[in-house]
Amino acid sequence: MVVGPFGLDPAIWAVLRLIIAIALAAGLVFNGALAQIYLERKIQAIIQDRVGPIHTGPWGLLQTFADAIKLLGKEDIRARLTDHWFFLAAPAIVFSPMLASYVVIPFAPGVVGADLNIGLLYLTTLGSMTVLGIVLAGWASNNKYSLIGGLRSAGQLISYEVPQILSLVTVVLLVGSLSLTKIVDGQGGWHVYGLIVPLAFVTYFIAGLAETNRVPFDLPEAESELVAGFLTEYSGMRWGLFFVAEYGEVTVVASIITTLWFGGWHGPFTDIHPLLGPALGVLWFTLKTYFFVLVFMWIRATLPRFRIDQLMSLCWKLLIPVTLLNLMVTAVLLLAFPGTHVPVAIANWLMLGGVMLLIPFLQKRRLIALRQRLETRRLALATAERPR
Amino acid sequence: MSYDFLETILFALLTIGIVGGAVGVVFLNRITGAALLMAFTFLCNAGMFVLLGAETIAAFQVLIYVGAITVLILYGVMFTPQQHRPYALFFQKQTPWAALFVAPIAIFVALFAFSFRDSAHPTPRGGDLVPLATSVFKDFAFPFEVASVLLLAAMIGAIVLVKRDEDE
Amino acid sequence: MTIPVGAFIAVSSILFFLGVTGVLVRRNAVVILMCVELMLNAANLALVAFSRRAGSVDERGSVFVVFVFVIAAAEVAVGLAIVLAAYRNRPTVDVDEVHAMKG
Repeated sequence: MVVGPFGLDPAIWAVLRLIIAIALAAGLVFNGALAQIYLERKIQAIIQDRVGPIHTGPWGLLQTFADAIKLLGKEDIRARLTDHWFFLAAPAIVFSPMLASYVVIPFAPGVVGADLNIGLLYLTTLGSMTVLGIVLAGWASNNKYSLIGGLRSAGQLISYEVPQILSLVTVVLLVGSLSLTKIVDGQGGWHVYGLIVPLAFVTYFIAGLAETNRVPFDLPEAESELVAGFLTEYSGMRWGLFFVAEYGEVTVVASIITTLWFGGWHGPFTDIHPLLGPALGVLWFTLKTYFFVLVFMWIRATLPRFRIDQLMSLCWKLLIPVTLLNLMVTAVLLLAFPGTHVPVAIANWLMLGGVMLLIPFLQKRRLIALRQRLETRRLALATAERPR
Repeated sequence: MSYDFLETILFALLTIGIVGGAVGVVFLNRITGAALLMAFTFLCNAGMFVLLGAETIAAFQVLIYVGAITVLILYGVMFTPQQHRPYALFFQKQTPWAALFVAPIAIFVALFAFSFRDSAHPTPRGGDLVPLATSVFKDFAFPFEVASVLLLAAMIGAIVLVKRDEDE
Repeated sequence: MTIPVGAFIAVSSILFFLGVTGVLVRRNAVVILMCVELMLNAANLALVAFSRRAGSVDERGSVFVVFVFVIAAAEVAVGLAIVLAAYRNRPTVDVDEVHAMKG
């Protein structure tokens, strides 16, 4: 009779481990959201040369709790809706895939909810289910502007899934497996994939910004400041659930970046002790993840946002060709020089430098063309308006 | 301790999900409800794939059907609003004839299906990802390329069909 | 595996015939497209079930399923484009009313 850990039957231990993983994930998500809301406000304040929340609690630490209590106490406004069940279901459909994503992320050696051998495919699948929730939220609000905001957001999310998946596949080529634990085990010390395929990291970072509706791609949400977005009719804790889902998704994207490109839980002293080592692994993982979350917030406080057509042309005309090229070059070099990652690294750094030099060049040419077009149109209008 | 009864329970639940969702799609008059029940049927179908040991196909099913095709159908539903009509007008003129022709064939096929008594082979170690990928990219590389050309043609065709003529 | 393959095939056939009924019976073109998707799903389920019954090592049934996914996606896109273009012409998606080419 096989005996699992703690003397339990292995089947019962598997179920118990899954339940513990889900409970930990839920706790992580909600506490993480609380921490991130506070961090966001403080960091934005510091960058914008003001102080942020300072009144509730020491250094304003209890501000988020006050906000949460306020949200819970708000009236559950129900406008004249078309579909009440869809209105209620939409936040759940946006929230659940995000929560389910934490199951496959390796926090420490051996500390992973389920070591799926299709781990990365599972994560992209869950990312694509969020689109359905947003379309439903826009539709169920019985509001033309909500609908348009929801459809625009869905279009943005679907478009940016392509460079996201292509960047992930570039790393999978290096490893040969979709399992996240194998990807992390392949790194260690200074041998991280961020130094080997940095272009994939940059493109995934940009696509991740767009996938989580963060600045500079937050037009669907920012419309709510001007007209309306898919969040208009949601008030109180339903809106809060959408926002917890967004911060959770940001954490998932940052975790994926850490796992794939920066060594996951690797760090000094992770193998000194069977119990303390994994705890240190969790610590390194959390520090790296929150570093990227802070970079997301830094970008939010700094950059202006894109228009919807600029956003779409960035995806289809820049990111997709770049990621496709990256994938092809990586695949060809891995076939030509099997067993070594050095040519791939050289090619990737060269391509990254090329893309960074190419963008100002292209923008300058586009600006000149735009100016010429405006000039011809102005001349045409001036000649046409001459009185007869 | 054998947990095989769990498989049977899961199969029963998934069957109820699939059949209930499909009946809802065919007979529900509220189209958005029908679209979401269709998404639910797709999810239960993905569960069936997992039961059969094809988890990569299950992931693709959710990714493509629930993530993309359901959204497309919802777009189609949203952009073609219809006035409210009596329930009888949701069905075509030939409904009784259709039911008459489909029912016996359906019953015959469903009964014949039960004659396959043997159970499935055990799933390969490491799942079906590596054999599937090897087959697609080695033996079926040409159909794979043709499929990508098909997708390109469909994309261009859909854009051309829906494009409005520019008013000059 | 304790469930006989025949059970999966039976579920697949029920799903398929419900889809056929939907295509023959419903008036709304978008609902007809939805029922076509149901039929494709039934075909996928049958393919994977039979592939498992044959114990194929190279997963040929699943390869075919991947191509069915591709074709289903392309077909839904083009089908919806046609429905929307027709809707723009005359604001109806009722298939009983689109009979201008009859006779």
